[in-house]
Amino acid sequence: MLKTEELQINIGPQHPSTHGVFRMLVTVDGETITDLKPVFGYLHRNHEQLAEMNTYQQNMPYTDRLDYFNAMANNHAYAIAVEKLVGIEVPERAEYIRVLMVELTRILNHAGALGFLINDMGAWQTQLAFGMREREKILDLFESASGARLMCNYFRFGGVARDLPADFMPRLKDLLLAMPGFVDEMERLLRENEILLQRSEGIGILPQELALAYSVTGPVLRGSGVAYDIRKAEPYSIYDRFDFDVPVGSVGDVYDRILVRIEEMRQSKRIIEQIIEQLPDAQGGYMNPKARQNVRPPVGDVYARVETPKGELGFYLVSDGSTKPYRYKVRAPSFINLTPLGDMCRGYKVADVVVILGSIDIVMGEVDR
Amino acid sequence: MDIPRGNIIVMDRRRGKLRVGQGLIQGLKVVWDHWAGSFHKNENFSQIHGTFTVEYPDERLPLPQTYRNMPVLLYDDESGHELCTGCYQCQRICPPQVIHITQAKDPVTGKMVPAATEFIIEYDACMSCGFCAEVCPFDSIKMDHVYELSTADRVSLTMRKAQLNRPISYYASIAPDLWAEVQAGAMKKLQGSIKRRPDVIGLAAVLTEKIKARRLELAAAAAAAPAAAAPAPAAPAAPAAKLTPEEKAAKLAAMKATNANKGVAAPPAKAPVELSPADAKAAKLAAIKAANAAKQAGAAAPPAEVPAELPPTDAKAAKLAAIKAANAAKKAAEQGNSE
Amino acid sequence: MPNLRAEDLRALLGRDLPGLLQEAYPLHLAPPPAHGHAPPPFTTADALVDADRIIEAALYLRDTLGYAFLSDICVVDYLADGVFELVYRFYHVEGGPSLALKARVPRESPQVPSLTPHWPGANFHEREAFDLYGITFVGHPFLRRIYMWDEFEGFPMRRDFPKQGDKYIGEEE
Repeated sequence: MLKTEELQINIGPQHPSTHGVFRMLVTVDGETITDLKPVFGYLHRNHEQLAEMNTYQQNMPYTDRLDYFNAMANNHAYAIAVEKLVGIEVPERAEYIRVLMVELTRILNHAGALGFLINDMGAWQTQLAFGMREREKILDLFESASGARLMCNYFRFGGVARDLPADFMPRLKDLLLAMPGFVDEMERLLRENEILLQRSEGIGILPQELALAYSVTGPVLRGSGVAYDIRKAEPYSIYDRFDFDVPVGSVGDVYDRILVRIEEMRQSKRIIEQIIEQLPDAQGGYMNPKARQNVRPPVGDVYARVETPKGELGFYLVSDGSTKPYRYKVRAPSFINLTPLGDMCRGYKVADVVVILGSIDIVMGEVDR
Repeated sequence: MDIPRGNIIVMDRRRGKLRVGQGLIQGLKVVWDHWAGSFHKNENFSQIHGTFTVEYPDERLPLPQTYRNMPVLLYDDESGHELCTGCYQCQRICPPQVIHITQAKDPVTGKMVPAATEFIIEYDACMSCGFCAEVCPFDSIKMDHVYELSTADRVSLTMRKAQLNRPISYYASIAPDLWAEVQAGAMKKLQGSIKRRPDVIGLAAVLTEKIKARRLELAAAAAAAPAAAAPAPAAPAAPAAKLTPEEKAAKLAAMKATNANKGVAAPPAKAPVELSPADAKAAKLAAIKAANAAKQAGAAAPPAEVPAELPPTDAKAAKLAAIKAANAAKKAAEQGNSE
Repeated sequence: MPNLRAEDLRALLGRDLPGLLQEAYPLHLAPPPAHGHAPPPFTTADALVDADRIIEAALYLRDTLGYAFLSDICVVDYLADGVFELVYRFYHVEGGPSLALKARVPRESPQVPSLTPHWPGANFHEREAFDLYGITFVGHPFLRRIYMWDEFEGFPMRRDFPKQGDKYIGEEE
């Protein structure tokens, strides 16, 4: 009998598969993982304290930097939180524009996330390039509406910064023409690919009970079979006006998360189609003319959350009646989704760690804050 | 559980009717299709095949009008006046606090003038959020479309006003619709600001010819007064009808100069202990004017002196004027000598 | 879809777990100014429970009421009153709005029982609260700094932490 010894190794912080500066302290027995501790904070900038030193309005562009893939979704969460605290009404048209942007964000995030995941599995750049191409088109739309591709800073309290440009809708319709083809193609490429099945089926299983206990959200929770989508569970904005389905997995492995993400892109497309139908009838402009930007909310606290592509993003704000928040807390989805990483990886091989991490879909700007 | 307006779909994990290896081939077909498609160009958003990249440095994608990179300051092509009034709105709202403004002051009266003498934006720390452009009530700050800003050192990204100035025609060329929306209001506000700007304050620093022309114009206005005053002190200094601020200032300076000239010859006036930059500038300006005036009068002015007795309220102004006149006289004398 | 409000939770907790609820006295957000109006104090409608019995209250929410999803743990530093307030936020898996449990601990000796043995998802929340506010969670299996490096002194999110200056600047190598 050979005597084996446990070995501690570091994966990261500078490692291409860690999606940023993220370190995993892995204890291995041979190739098998016996323990894994995520270590982070390399990108920590005390975002929350910066926010307490700024006014409510000045914080809006900083929320872009949380999850820099989904700036629009972050803007949405923060705008909802402040609007709830102050009591600002949002015109209907502005709500439609917001939801449109957030759903486009969801498509681009999943296209990118799946690309990166397949990249981690070793299909170097193929799927990533296809995903990035679709993402690029959506970013072009964002740029024409907000002026920036990633750091959009598009939402304001009581609406959005400016109305959609004239050429936005025709381009969006073009994009939607291409979208089913793109998603079907992605599914053809991935769904029954033997290599992908080998790498993802039965890997990184997170059972339903554990997923709930670990407070994970987003596609990771739904991949584990819990049909919990904030858009349905606690509808915010105007999500109660749209028909869409919630995809869930049955096993809770990496493969389920891939399938859930692919289906979510289709559902987002469904929502966007309904928006295009309903938008011309929407009342009000893109901005509530009575809404002040330099808000001075009454003393109180508020928690508002949205379903970003990565999960539940919540803002807890305490106001002391001044223009600056007394407390500003971000409940970041990728940060909490990392909690079960150790349990998900235990018992699998080192090569599976990068796949499991990729299937959680983290962004370090949000994890480290 | 059931959800409103939708169903819960449990993802189907079953395989299709593919045999071993066929899934792989199906995936490879997708890759092959893309490779084959990459020989033609992707024309629009409705296509998913084809090349959609461009050869960047040679070929550039058109930028949308709303694109924002770094803030710049606009000035009017015709008058050369900047739209900025130094109202500090952008400095206050800037999240990373990279905008620094010095408001202009009237050199003679010391009052605030709706213009900025210095305007610094630290491009290296700017986060391109566009709040400054959004909040600017005079539509003076706009977001530029230039994105190739890399430098070898940090300091050269600290942009001063001269580097930030762009003509309105430039902005109108990169964002015609956005400018058309605000043009009328912005130009109206600019006319209001110009009326309250004396001297060359508010002229874009890059327009050296415009500034030179304006200075000459002002000097001529200033000269008109002392030229008339020198031979006959009792003569009216200037026509009373015109009373725009700069003319008023010029008249005042001229009057001070004549008063000083009238005084008895005496040792040159002492410089005051402390001179604020604005005062120094004003004094210099007045001195230039007086010098010009003296030259035009054709007589080397005698060194001036502080009048012995003056009401206390006038003392300061008179002292200042005396210094100016003295300097002017000295300069005039020097010029006379050199000629 | 369950739709309990904060008042309902207070009533339920008062009925089923006597002695657990505390009276939520108003908190001051700023020290009283030398002159002029003091800003109104912060009052909360959420259930304020005894910090030592937080596990009991949380388990009641999970097992009796079905609010099994611990979404967020947030610490707020009320410097003027010398307390930290912890906000635990729970959701029902069926949907609906959140229920919040609040607990107050003194700033001098902030100690709360850890929820991590019951909710593994509380792990990072509690480590974050320890790192940034210095709250000790008794019973946490791995209470270490999460963002700052281990040698860091002080708790940067506390309101009395100096906002400027850096003690590492100028130190000899």
